This record gives sequence, structure tokens and C-alpha cells, in this order.
Amino acid sequence: MKTIGVALLCTVMTAIPVTVMARDVTIAGWGGNYQDAQRQAYFEPFAAKAGVKIEETTYLGGLAEIKAMVDTGNVTWDFLIMGGSELQLACDEGLLEPLDWDAIGGKDDLLPGAAMTCGVGNVVIGNGFAYNTQAFPTPPQDWKDFFDREKFPGRRGVNNTPQFNLEYALMADGVPPDQIYEVLATPEGVDRAFAQWDKIKDLLQYWESGAQPVEWLASNNVALSTAYNGRIIMAKREGKPLEFVWKNHVVNMDGWAMVKGSPYKDRLTEFMQTVNDPANQAKFSSLMPYGPSNTLAAGHLTPEIVAGLPAGDNIKEAAFMSDEFWIDHLDDLRERWSRWSTQ
Amino acid sequence: MSASPRKPGGARLAAVVLLALPLAIYILLYLMPISSMISLSVDNGELGRTLVRFRDADQGDHDARAAALLADMQAMDAGRQAATARELNQNLSGFRSLFLKTARQAAGIEPTAAGLAAFDDRWTDQIYWDVMLANSSPFTWRHFGEATGLKLDESGRLTAGGDDIYVQIMWRTLVISVQVTLVTLLIGYPLAYAVTNAAPRFAAFVLIAVLMSFWTSILVRTTAWVILLQTSGLVNSFLLRTGFVTEPLQLIFNRFGAIVSMTHVLLPFAVIPIMNVMRTIPKSQKDASLSLGAGPIETFLRVYLPQTLRGVAVGGATVFILALGFYITPSLTGGPRDQMVSFYIAAFVKESLNWGMASALSVMLLGAVLLILSAYGAARWLLSRKRGRA
Repeated sequence: MKTIGVALLCTVMTAIPVTVMARDVTIAGWGGNYQDAQRQAYFEPFAAKAGVKIEETTYLGGLAEIKAMVDTGNVTWDFLIMGGSELQLACDEGLLEPLDWDAIGGKDDLLPGAAMTCGVGNVVIGNGFAYNTQAFPTPPQDWKDFFDREKFPGRRGVNNTPQFNLEYALMADGVPPDQIYEVLATPEGVDRAFAQWDKIKDLLQYWESGAQPVEWLASNNVALSTAYNGRIIMAKREGKPLEFVWKNHVVNMDGWAMVKGSPYKDRLTEFMQTVNDPANQAKFSSLMPYGPSNTLAAGHLTPEIVAGLPAGDNIKEAAFMSDEFWIDHLDDLRERWSRWSTQ
Repeated sequence: MSASPRKPGGARLAAVVLLALPLAIYILLYLMPISSMISLSVDNGELGRTLVRFRDADQGDHDARAAALLADMQAMDAGRQAATARELNQNLSGFRSLFLKTARQAAGIEPTAAGLAAFDDRWTDQIYWDVMLANSSPFTWRHFGEATGLKLDESGRLTAGGDDIYVQIMWRTLVISVQVTLVTLLIGYPLAYAVTNAAPRFAAFVLIAVLMSFWTSILVRTTAWVILLQTSGLVNSFLLRTGFVTEPLQLIFNRFGAIVSMTHVLLPFAVIPIMNVMRTIPKSQKDASLSLGAGPIETFLRVYLPQTLRGVAVGGATVFILALGFYITPSLTGGPRDQMVSFYIAAFVKESLNWGMASALSVMLLGAVLLILSAYGAARWLLSRKRGRA
């Protein structure tokens, strides 16, 4: 009988079903300071107002996880913050819940492009480059300097992706910020961008997360590095001798969306209203130096805070990232970039 | 209950059946992902299922093929339209927006070639039609074509001449794995020797050191190497202070960094099997050999080493196979030229949702492992036969 018992136990153990449990509202973000600021500015007010408990997790980009959730019907995240072009892609693929803008309201107060079919643009990010103020007697001014290995010798930290990097290269080659995507849509334009990168290819050191440029610059591991403005401004506030170059930086927007099939669909409108609220957005921007998407938020911010944001004077010479361009060209250019960087 | 040992039927049979069931489930769970991976690598995804009318249309008749395409578009729901557009865009940049824009408004477009051209004049370009036709069958070799750089020409013959970047990466993966295996064995063998033969205290210390790193998270160990080896890290400051170098060395984000950190992570997998084999060798053998006139070196080479080769083989094979699939460690400590095939598989899965390419690369990796394992098995069999005859 004992053998049967053991065998039965084995059989039962393999057959234990996955139990489905009710779970709290789950929000996925980019982690770090960024998510800490969002917790204070958005999650806590939302939890208090909606009377729900919140569970947080980390999202590292890409559509694979969301697609797996939607395809298998096992939706474990409710809200998440995504890059603008990925949000659009996910929306087209039917992975996100469409929004009811009549119910949410306030569409006209948002920046152009922030009110999307399946999401709201929420965080305005400045993508540029930074340097250690102790490293050079005359600081670098623009992208020409970034690609100039004689004037500014030393290694360069760079994110391992064609996005932004090709734009930077074209601006270094003299293309005005408002024409980069026209040029980049032609094969000659792409060749021009790669020709710039060829000049400093042997100096590149690739970063994966936004924290790496800060560490590398502070420890003189690299001379210059592309970076998000928020990380550099935060490091400056902590007393690190870093500076962000605002000239010709590229602005893009992260947005909030809900995974399709979420059990908390009835909270969707309330959540989007919370993240659109100008006072909440101002709170986020004062904690984390990224820009608000609600134009009314500016009234809640001090000039010192605005000086560190991709807003006001800082974006006078900025380029605006085209989500449409990247949705069409990312596959192709990513392949070319990875081929280029790997050889 | 044990009073009926002569009755093998009944209870025993039930037990066998009950145990066979979980076994069958385990085997199924093991084989299913592999077979689904293989089928994904040749599956044409949505393309093979959504463009059915277009596939059967007369391609010479431009109005007929336009009408068939529009009918196919209207038969798809929004998610399928997007998936089809994504897969077409993998073949031709810019196809995504053209296809989606057309599909979303397909009902309002006049179903003729002229109607499509009036909607968007890109439809007059033959290349879009060629790409769709080339990709409208349920099965495809394009993922393998891209992965191997081999192309099927019109007569169905395989020709080289495509881009063989993934073959180079596959080759690089094998080279790094061999390098890591050799370094691991070179360091692991003396360590295992120390654990088995040194004074008990020292041996215990070495064993704990090896096991400690075995129990530490792989991410922590890798990050520790980043801190140690970076330009302003411990190793470089030591070298600079002692005057061995005048400029900090680039020790990380290159092949050196990748191999050092991978070796550290994989070391226990070599030490433990070698140690286990060494423990079975009686110490008296050494004394016997020495007393018969062999020197210490000859004793080691002719008596000790041959007996430990079994452990070296097991440890080396384990390290090699594990190294082939490494992804996190080289991505954190290597440069762009040191990324292994798993890195690209992960990128295809996560970033571009191109699961066909990811599967094709996985099948290539699996094939390489099977090939190497069978070569290893064949070599061992040949050796044992030779030894048996001698």
C-alpha cells in the first residue's frame, strides 16, 4: 500500500492546479528614483481616492511580457508606464485597453500627442549627453563636440540602440533638429548617421540602464556619455560634478496605459485622471526632474525646478522624437545598428 | 501488508501506472517547449493564415489581387491586422504603417488596383506585392535563411551570400565557451586538488570559498566583478599605486572581463565533479608509485592524472554546456563584440517580438549542443573500444 501512497502523492502533486487569487492593483514602472517619485505623486493619491491597495513591480521595456499576459489570459499587471512608440505598437496589437477621453476629460490641457487612443503621455524626458565638469577646461557645447575625438578625447558611454543615437549623429553632421526624420527616412541619411558613429566607434562603452552613465561619468570611467536629463540633474543635486548639455537634446514622452483584460478596468478613468492632475504632475517633476505633460502644471513649479526640466528655455533648440518614424523603422535600423556594433 | 510478496499484480501494477503518469507529464512538459520552439522557427505566423485570398489570387491580374488583399484585410480583426503588419515590417521597413493604414480603412477603398493607388500611391510599387507573396505560405525558411546567411534561390538551391552575422555570433559563442572551459579547468583542477589533499582546515576553507560563490546570486557575483575591474576599481588602483602600470587598464567591457566573470560563475561546476573523483583515489597509490622509483611529476602524470580525467571530462562538459547559454554575465561585463547568441535570442523575444527569429537561433544553439555532445560521445566510445582491444 505504501508504494501506492507514494505514487498517488506524486500524481497529485503534478496535478495541483494553479490557483487563481484576487490580487491588488498592480502597477509596473521603470524602478529606481523614477518609480519612487511616481509612488508619491500618483500611486498614493490614487490608492487613497479609489480605496484600493497597490502592488508594484518593475517593467524593463519590450512587449513580450504584455503579449504573453494578454495571449494567455493571465493578466497580472494593471497599469504600466511605457515609451511612446511601444505604447502605440502595443495599442495597435490590441494589448492595451482603449481610453474613454470623454470620461477622463482635460484633453486640451495636455501637450500635443499626449492624449492617445490607449494611453496618456505623462513624462517628458530630455535625451542628450553629459560630462564631468572637472574633466575639461572648456566644456563641450553640442553634438559636434561629442563626436570630436581630438577636442574631447576619451571613451563615450552610449545606449546600445539606434533610437536617439542616429538623431544625435545627424545633428552633429549639421542637420537641423526639425529635419532629422526626413533625412533619416532616406538610405543616404542613415549612412550619414553611421558615418559619424564610425569616427568614434572604438571609444564606445554601452550602457543598459540610466544609472550607468552617472556612475561612469562620476568615476571618470568615460569622458562623455549620452544620458537622460533626470539622472544627471538628480546627481547634480546630490553634489556630483556633472552637467547636462541641453542644446539639441531629443525630447520624448513616456505614457501610462492599462493591460487589456485587467480586472480593474473600472478604475481606468480614475487612474488616468490622477496622473493627468496638474498638482500631482508638479509634485512628480519636483521630485524627479522630468517634464509634466499637463501644461497647467507649470503654474505649480518654482523656477529652480523648471531650470532642470526639458521645458521652457531648455527646449528652445530641442528635437522632438517621432514615434511614427520609429514604429516603421525600428526593426530595420535596430538590425543595422546591432550588426554595426557587433562587428 | 508485506505478507503477500508473491502477488505482483494488483497494488504493484497500480503503483506502476500511477508513477508512469507523472513521468509522462514530465516528459511532455519537457518536450513540449522544445517542439513548439522548433515549429515556431518555421511558422510564418499570422502571414500564413491571414493572406489566404491574396495567396490564391491571380498575381498577373492587378485588380483581382487588390480585391483579394482588401477582402483579406477586412476578414482580420484589429489585433491580427497589427500582427500581420508587424511581420511584414520585419521584411520591409515602412510596410507596417502602409498595411495598417490600408487595413483600418479597407471597407471604404474601391477594390481595384486604381482604388488602392488612389488611397496610397505606394501600392503601385511592385516590391510591396512581392514581399507579401513571398511570405504568404504557412511555412517559411526565412528565419533560418537570416540566421544562417544561406538563401534559397529560384531553382530551390541553397546559396551562400546572405549576411552571416549570426553564424559569426554562433562561432563566437563557441569560442568564448571553449576559452571559459579551459580557464575554468586550469583553475578548478588545483582547487579540487587542494580540497581533497590539503590539510583539513585549509581544505575546508577552500571548499567553503567555492561553495559560497556557488550560493551567491549570479547577478551579485557579476556586479562585484564590474566594481573590481572598472577603470577606477580596486584592481586598477592597486596596479597604479604599485607602479605596475601608469595608465589604468581596460579590464572590463571587453573579452577579458567577460571571461573572468564567466569563469568565476562557472568554477563550482568544474571543482565539484573533479573533487568527487579525486576523493575516490586512495592516497596509498601515490606512496606506492613513489616507492617504486617514480618521481613526483611522473607519479602525478602517470598515476594520478589519468584517474581524474573522468571528473575533468564531466566538469568540463558541464561548464561548456552552461557557458553556451550564458547571457546576463557577458552582457554586463563584455563589450558589444563579446555578446553571445542568447543575448540576441533575448533581444528578439523581448524587443522586436520576432519569435520566429528567436526560435531559429535557439534551434541553431540546440543543434550545436547536440552535435558537440554526440561528437564527445563518439570520441569516448571510440576510445573505450580501443582500450578494450589493447
